[in-house]
Amino acid sequence: MRAQFVFHEVWIGLRRNLTMTIALIVVVAISLSLLGTGLLFVKQVENARSYWQSRVQLSVYLCSSPTIGGSCAKDGVVTSSEIAAIRQDLLATHDIVPGGLTFETQAQAWQQFKSEMSSNPALVKYTPPSQIPSSFEVRLKNTQADALPVSEAMDGVPGVSHVVDDSTVLDQFYKLLDGARNAVVVIAIFLLVAAIMLVANTIRLSAFNRRRETSIMRLVGASNFYVQLPFLVEGLIAGLIGWLVATGLLILVKSLWLNSLQTYFPYGTTLSSADLIEVIIVNMITGLLICGSTSFLTLRRYLRV
Amino acid sequence: MIHFDNVTKAYANQGRPALENVTLDVEKSEFVFLVGPSGSGKSTFLRLILKEERPTSGRIHVAGKDLARLTNWKVPLLRRRIGCVFQDFRLLPNKSVYQNIAFALEVIGKPRRFIRKVVPEVIDLVGLEGKRDRMPDELSGGEQQRVAMARAFVNRPMILLADEPTGNIDPATSIGIMKVLDRINRTGTTVVMATHDAAIVDSMRKRVIELEYGKVVRDQSRGVYGQAY
Ligand SMILES: Nc1ncnc2c1ncn2[C@@H]1O[C@H](COP(=O)(O)OP(=O)(O)OP(=O)(O)O)[C@@H](O)[C@H]1O
Ligand SMILES: [Mg+2]
Repeated sequence: MRAQFVFHEVWIGLRRNLTMTIALIVVVAISLSLLGTGLLFVKQVENARSYWQSRVQLSVYLCSSPTIGGSCAKDGVVTSSEIAAIRQDLLATHDIVPGGLTFETQAQAWQQFKSEMSSNPALVKYTPPSQIPSSFEVRLKNTQADALPVSEAMDGVPGVSHVVDDSTVLDQFYKLLDGARNAVVVIAIFLLVAAIMLVANTIRLSAFNRRRETSIMRLVGASNFYVQLPFLVEGLIAGLIGWLVATGLLILVKSLWLNSLQTYFPYGTTLSSADLIEVIIVNMITGLLICGSTSFLTLRRYLRV
Repeated sequence: MIHFDNVTKAYANQGRPALENVTLDVEKSEFVFLVGPSGSGKSTFLRLILKEERPTSGRIHVAGKDLARLTNWKVPLLRRRIGCVFQDFRLLPNKSVYQNIAFALEVIGKPRRFIRKVVPEVIDLVGLEGKRDRMPDELSGGEQQRVAMARAFVNRPMILLADEPTGNIDPATSIGIMKVLDRINRTGTTVVMATHDAAIVDSMRKRVIELEYGKVVRDQSRGVYGQAY
């Protein structure tokens, strides 16, 4: 195998249809970076979802001050006897995971709040600890079925401010994120299809441009592999350059856009570099596979023995 | 060396077959002229030897190999043992004489040292000394055909197929081309040449096979172009 000869032929091929090659590189780059963005998005959502999955619970917030309104306006700050009564009530009437009922004091709640909102120091600064309500955190055996009855039962009990079902809040949020992710992935797939057609066309054009050379190669007994290799390498090189550009764009997307998005995911669900590298590798495999296999299949049709 | 056994070739959508029940043998280091009117099947005969076409029926053996049993990936190996020359030269316009000839060796993976040694030899053999760096458009038709012959011969094939090699060349220059073919033949290479050139056939006095409507109508050693009535 004479590598120098093959690369010389590849170089000629790439130069002869430069515009097609550039178009191909651009489309591969854009489709791969969109695909990568979609994948990063998926990872971000997965990270957040799995974080929450283990924590989904009902929060029964207690009255921290009369200013909150509702039942708190009437009854005032919750008393310790009320707290005991609520605990009794919850344990007696609902199907709770063993050890799934915890009381969070105002001090604990404030600590939690402070660490979760560390990215937003202004908010922490202007929220006095007394504003943060204490609460019962309830983990039900069957959140889906029992969440609503619990909220209804707790409504109006003295000392209870309101009940929050984490899962309903999160569901809406995730629906939004899933929609955005699906849109990105669908666009990426359309572009990948365009990329496949462009690869096929570029290779076909390249084969047509060099039909003299290839017909002589076949005549003097060059093996199929030798006849096709320059074209295959040509497709792969275009794919590789496209992937490199896409990698650059992805790093940009991650550092500019997703990192700023992270302010809205304050709960330790940050995307790591490992995630990014994984996506880049998936991209490389996709890009090379698409360019390589399309070139190969096109050549089988247009460069027969 | 070449053995046709009752070979028929009918192209799709073509009424009469291009070759019909052709049976013949060409021995090693023979020189054979293939003559006959246009459309009589001469080029088809040559393409069958290269396995560029497959016969509709009958058997073909080339260099001891049954072409029907030759797998696709082995076809290139067959073609390395057969050189080809055409009426239209088929040179690469953007390569010099030397590069055109070297190309035939590069694409079958021959080492550079070998190429550097044999290409100048074959350039001398076809009489193009001193023109190795010319481009094809700086050569006469006769000289271009010499390059094509050098390319066909550089890998020392066992068989050389020539399809009207003098078709685009004036009679005087054709004599030079025939001298080169004769020289190649004398190295032991079997030569099969399809031609319409009566003067050449008559002057060489080699075996002549005449085709008409795809059938062998004459097979004569030391023959002439036209029927010797
Ligand atoms: N690829 C093809 N497809 C269909 N028919 C073909 C093909 N090639 C040749 N033919 C037909 O086969 C017949 C023989 O053609 P061939 O080229 O072998 O003749 P030839 O003797 O070489 O003629 P010429 O002297 O003009 O070169 C002709 O009738 C031609 O039309
Ligand atoms: Mg012909």
